[in-house]
Parts: sequence; structure tokens; C-alpha cells
Amino acid sequence: MGYDAVVIGAGLGGLSCAANLARSGFRTLVLENTDRVGGCCSSYDHQGYRFDIGASVVELAWVIDGLFRRLGKETKDYIDFIPIDPIYGFVTADGRRFSYPVSVEETGQVIARFSEEDARSWERFAAVGSDAVNFAFGKVITESMGSLRDMLRVALANPKLAKYLKYMVLNFESVLCSFFKSDTVRASMSLQSYFIGLPPALCPGYVAFLAYSEHEGIFYPRGGMIAIPQGIATALREFGGEIRFNSRVVRVLTDGRRVRGVELADGTRIESRVVVSNINAKTLYLELIGEERLPAWAKRAIKSYRVSIPAPMIMLGLDARPDLDAHHTFCYATLQEMNRIWFEDYLSGRVPDGGFMLISWPTHADPSLAPEGHHCLNLVSFAPYRLAEGDWDSYKERYLEKMLGLLERGFGLRLHDHIRVAKVNTPKDFERLLLHPEGAVYGLQNDITCTAAFRPGVRSRVFRGLYLTGASTHLGGGIAPTVGSGMVAADLIQRDFG
Amino acid sequence: MEKRLGRLLKAGILAALVALYFSLDESTRRYLAHIGKQVPYLPYRYFI
Repeated sequence: MGYDAVVIGAGLGGLSCAANLARSGFRTLVLENTDRVGGCCSSYDHQGYRFDIGASVVELAWVIDGLFRRLGKETKDYIDFIPIDPIYGFVTADGRRFSYPVSVEETGQVIARFSEEDARSWERFAAVGSDAVNFAFGKVITESMGSLRDMLRVALANPKLAKYLKYMVLNFESVLCSFFKSDTVRASMSLQSYFIGLPPALCPGYVAFLAYSEHEGIFYPRGGMIAIPQGIATALREFGGEIRFNSRVVRVLTDGRRVRGVELADGTRIESRVVVSNINAKTLYLELIGEERLPAWAKRAIKSYRVSIPAPMIMLGLDARPDLDAHHTFCYATLQEMNRIWFEDYLSGRVPDGGFMLISWPTHADPSLAPEGHHCLNLVSFAPYRLAEGDWDSYKERYLEKMLGLLERGFGLRLHDHIRVAKVNTPKDFERLLLHPEGAVYGLQNDITCTAAFRPGVRSRVFRGLYLTGASTHLGGGIAPTVGSGMVAADLIQRDFG
Repeated sequence: MEKRLGRLLKAGILAALVALYFSLDESTRRYLAHIGKQVPYLPYRYFI
């Protein structure tokens, strides 16, 4: 049986696109390589604990609300979001602890303990951030930016974007330092650059306002992060869309410069006039389509993109409540240290001895994810894909010990005595499981030369009928951008084929 | 004469840009160098 649209990968972008297409009457099939939905926003059960695979919280939840509204539904009927407050707990190397609550005003009071001047700057930062998130950059999440014409159209429709142009030209570090003077305050807002896979020195300046966007409200879905893709998948099925699990696509079938379907690992061919790829764009163009079928310029373009830095994850099941203060704890380093780690360690293939780490504590929001009295923790750090010595498969156990040692010696957090389950997902595991080249969970590198019309187009400019969603295309990695990419792709497909 | 003035103007602009670059802090210089390396690929990236 042929389909109107085949979607490769049941990640958030693919599901968002598929649900919109199914609602518009397209016969839609989603093919998923694994046995579950969500890709990098998923969860799995292991020895009584439910662990999240990638994403650990939702911000800019209005994008998800927008998706369900477009489907004629309400988010609350599909996903139960639990508000998270405080946003972050911080642990410094000298053992100090503090938290940033959701309230902008209360966060200002915390910042005032370090610097009165920075507390005043925080008000200014929050005002600029609110404007940027709600009236400028936020608008581009669900807009097609595939051409200079699109970019001009979006700019004319959102004149405030021009006001923030400087934050695209400056880097993250300069923007943060232009607002804040205290090293403690700067450091507390520095992790966000790594959320798009870059150190503060190389990250675009507008990303600095992620530190504000979290204050618009962050949420955790009851039942684990997989509850989000499950909710969208339920809506998709209600419109007659199908999902097939354990179905690996090995080839996108083409006829000249037009797609005509896909081929699965078992040899099955599925005809379709539209193919939506929710996998990494490099894997799509270089492997599923193949270099030999790409024009020379397209080959040069796709090879020119670097992938983002991998984020190895350690999942821990504990038999006691951890000594933490918030859903997210940032064991932090200064801006300078975060840059040094990139330039001196990562680029040399070394996992740093010191460093920083994000601890996610999902059972803080939803205790049902672990047996009574037990807790789940995810330890997220960043590390190079290619190690100077050895490889990730043999380094796995040592990595676990190294990270637990860093927490204990560097930040005074001792977890060893209460660990009942420990599992490490290395960059190699992410590559095998989710087909991310080099384990890059944030897709392609997200600098300004790899954004908007210069990122692989949602509507492919190489093959007619081919569309991209997810972290590889506009607007990049993260829950809101990937859900938004699916909505943009569905709009374009309906315009082209509806 | 006009040719010479043109060359002088170009040299002046280049010198000003180099001076401006070295007047920036290390972080901004790193950022601009990083972006600069990617610029030659933009014409290809626009069409994929």
C-alpha cells in the first residue's frame, strides 16, 4: 500500500509533522528504528526505574500548546505538565549552594547576594529577554526560514528582530559579560551555551537569553519525557496515522531529483510522494540518499556542516533521596573554564578531569518514576566523540567512575553509597541507538553560519518531495524548535501537495 | 593618480580592519575567526 507521506523517525519533529499531515487527510506512516517514540525526548524502564534518554525538561511550552491547538485538541488531554520551581540549584566548587526560582523578582533577590549591580542588570536582562523570546526570536520557531525571501518576510513581520540583530553578531560570552559583572552570576548563566553544543566563546549571543526564557516557566511531563511524544503519537493515531516500530529505513528512493519512497532494512519498499526525514541531515543525505546521487554542490554543502558536541549521560537509580535542591542542579565552572575545557580538552580528544555537569532529578517532580523512597538521576556532561586514548566502549566504566569522582571531590556530592542501578549512554550508544553521527544529540552545530536559510532546508532544495524536521533543520535542537520544525514542514507539504 | 588613491584607500581599509580585529578581546576574536572559517561554505549551504 502506498502512502501520501512517509516520515523517517518518530522523534518530536517527525511526530509533529505526521500528526498535522494526518489531520489534513494525508495517509501518513511513521517508521521508527527503535521500539519507542521520542528519539532524544524519550524514556525507558530499567530495573524498576524510569530514565529519560535525552531532554530533561520543557521550556517554551506554548509551542506544544500551539501544536495541539492546530490539531483541534488541548494539551492537557494528552500530557500532564508538572510546573518546575526552582529552575536550577547551583553547586560551586567551594561548596556554596543557591537556587534560581521561576519568579524573575525572586531570582533578582538571589543575584543581589552576589552583586547589587548585577541584580539591577538582571531586571534589564529579563526585560530584553522577555521581549526577545515573546516578540522576536520566539516568533521564528514556527516560521519557515528556508530562503532569503522567507527571512525578509519574517523580519518585516517582526520588526523587533532588527533591534536584536547585535545579539546575533556578538557571541554568548560578550552578551553575558555586557550585562553581568560578577563571575558567580556569569557562571550561573553560562551552561546554556552548551545546550546548543558550543562553548560561550563560539556560541551566538542570542542564546544567552535562554537563561531568561526558563523564567517564563519550565515543566516536566508526568510519566517521564516520553509522555510528550506519546501524547503527540496518540493524536496522530486518532487522525488515522500509523507508526511502525523496529523499522529501519536504509534508503530513500529517488527518481532523478524527486523522491518516491523508502526502502527498509528487510528489503520492503514503501512508495510515497512525500518523504519527511527526522534524522540527522548528514545521515539522510550522505547515507540514506547516498553521495553518488547528490549534485557536487550539495555534497560540498552537507559535508561542510560540523555536528554538535556529544553529551554522554549517566543514569542512576538511588535507594535514597539525593542531597540536591532542585529538578536541575548545575555543578558549575566559570565562563573562562568552560571555554578552556572546549579549546584545551575537547579539541584534543580528552575528557576533562575537572569541569561542569548538569544533574537532572526527574523524581523530584514525579516520584512515580522510581520505587517508593527511591530516586532517578541523570548526570549530563559533554565530551569529545573521538578520544585521544581508547574508545567509548572500553572507556564506559572509567567514565562513570570519573564523573562520580568529579561530583564527590569537586562539588561535595557523594552518591556512591546509594547507587542501585547505574547505566551510561556514551556518544557511541547515541550513534547506534538514534543514528546521530558522532553521537551529536544537538544535531548540527548551531552557529549563525548554520542557521535559518543556511541550515539544511525544511523543504529540501535538492530533491522535490523531501522535507526535513528535527534538530538538523531550522531552528535547531530542543523540544520547542523540533516540534516547531514539524509544524513548518507540514505547512510546506500542504502548500506543495495539498 | 586615481589608481594610486584607490590602492591607498583599500590598504587603509584593510589596515583599519586588522587594527579593529586586534583591538577586540580574545573571546570575540575567537568567535569571529570561527565564523570566518565557515563563511566560504555559505553559498553551498543556502542551496541544500
